Amino acid sequence: MKSFKKFKINTKKLSPKEKVILKKLISAVKLITPFYLKQKNEKYPGANFYPKDATKEEIQKAAKKNSLILNPYTFVERDKKGKLIAIPYHIKFKNKLKPIVNLIKEAAKLSNDKNFTKYLQSRAKSLLNGDYEKSDILLLKKGPFKISFIIGPIEWYLDKLFAKKYAYQAWVGILDEEKTEEAKELLTIVLSGRRKVLPGSKKINVSKINPRVDKTVAFSGLISEFLISSMNLPRDNKIVKKYGSELTIFEPVLKLRFKKDYFPICQKILNKKLQKQYLPDFLYKGALRYTLFNEISYSLICYKDAEKRLGNFFYIINEFFANILGIKIWAILFLKGIISQKELEAILIFYLCRNLSLGKLAIKRPDIAFHYQTRAAISINFLLKEGAIKMKEYGKKRGIYSFNFTKVFICIDELSRLLEYYLALGSYEEVQEFINEYGSFYTFKKFLNF
Amino acid sequence: MSEQKKFYLTKDGLKKIKKEYKDLKSLRFDKIKEEVPEVLKSEDLNIEYISFQEDVSLLELRIAELENILKNIELIKPPPKNKQNIVNLGATVLAEINGEIDEFKIIGTLEADPSNKKISNESPIGQALLGKKIGDTVVIKTPIVNHSCKIKKIKYN
Repeated sequence: MKSFKKFKINTKKLSPKEKVILKKLISAVKLITPFYLKQKNEKYPGANFYPKDATKEEIQKAAKKNSLILNPYTFVERDKKGKLIAIPYHIKFKNKLKPIVNLIKEAAKLSNDKNFTKYLQSRAKSLLNGDYEKSDILLLKKGPFKISFIIGPIEWYLDKLFAKKYAYQAWVGILDEEKTEEAKELLTIVLSGRRKVLPGSKKINVSKINPRVDKTVAFSGLISEFLISSMNLPRDNKIVKKYGSELTIFEPVLKLRFKKDYFPICQKILNKKLQKQYLPDFLYKGALRYTLFNEISYSLICYKDAEKRLGNFFYIINEFFANILGIKIWAILFLKGIISQKELEAILIFYLCRNLSLGKLAIKRPDIAFHYQTRAAISINFLLKEGAIKMKEYGKKRGIYSFNFTKVFICIDELSRLLEYYLALGSYEEVQEFINEYGSFYTFKKFLNF
Repeated sequence: MSEQKKFYLTKDGLKKIKKEYKDLKSLRFDKIKEEVPEVLKSEDLNIEYISFQEDVSLLELRIAELENILKNIELIKPPPKNKQNIVNLGATVLAEINGEIDEFKIIGTLEADPSNKKISNESPIGQALLGKKIGDTVVIKTPIVNHSCKIKKIKYN
């Protein structure tokens, strides 16, 4: 797994100055990689964020006296007396971050876009002073910019102990104006409807969602290692509530994943007749549509106290519901005549392929991408139990050998009701029961060998 | 003999179609009036001529489409007041569809513009709602997706 990746992108729409800016920002993205690696440690649930000998209880006890202990931007270490203390990232790495900061500042000076200059300057400052909020807010207020650039502690996934600490991550890309406009138009249609809130629940209304489709040039951190094809920022719900969110589709990454991973799985699950009906380009569009609305859905489903009620299950259920809701939204657009039945089917096929891809990962590396794999396991087990998919255990065609679109859709409907209930009102125990029933990886081990 | 397809248009929609038809006919006339590029007497293709032919063919195609539309239009008019509790073309419907409250106008396919809340009468929702009343719960049925839809309000401009 590579922690830094570059993509070959056509930069002819950039001016000579913009090309220089891009080069500097690519260097900044590359240079943040070692900081991510310093935080990463797959051997321990708390990675390198907490002392290896510290128990969960000890950390929680210390956090009651010092809230910085569980702050997203601090390392937890022991002082000379063995007491747990919190050291902010920007203090621990102060001098080492300076070359990156200088690159960003140089890029800022070159830009003719005053707002982008301010934004870059703010991002650079945030690396040194630990105040990441200001640059997030600037991005939401003044963006989207032609060049997309994010750097800083963003990704919580390495912290399997508390899901609190953010790891360094970065990316830089160029806005694909045409695809971004299409995404915005679809979003307008989606937001014209008003989702009903479940009685008794506390929903956060998101003020603004900015979608962007990027020609990603480089990225580093967890998104590079897992080739994550989309991201929704900021993480802080308070900022999201007030200023909205920006979601980014990293299109070159999606194309790469589609070619290497998802499409070969499609070919396994579709018979020859169906393969002729769903050609690669057509299926890829399904992948892009699925990804777009998957990300949009995160912004539509913020239930205020869900994280508190559901604890560590929150991320599984939240992510799962975003997947499902995204597909349901496409179903409504199909009913409105915006996409065809076949286009909706392509989205469902991609949904299955993506879950099977996570299933493959679950067999090889059950320790990583745990939330995503659990969600995929629940999906597949649920569909299997309801007869929406059929799987073969032996022979050449081991895996999914048939699926029924109508039944898949009925399952998606049912799952969406369940998941929204859990997020809005459900308890930790209810979710635990649900995951115990459907979250086993046994199906993957039994049926998947491709 | 099969029935000709009807094209449902509002007054504004009809105006736009008529204008486009007039403009394209005028453009075709101007194009043909200009000197047509000569076909060279050689084995090489004359790119200019091919391009000219393609432009004219596209124009002709679109003009023929518009003529067909203009021959088969039906103007969308609000129904009489005593029938305005029924969904018909031109109705703006407030509906609850699978947990979501949405409002949209049902219009002919030519003027459908979902980003401006105008959906086609030929869409699954359009087809299911036409002829239904306020308070009705309709099942929008398609081969893969079925959703219930409750009509909350109907209004006409």
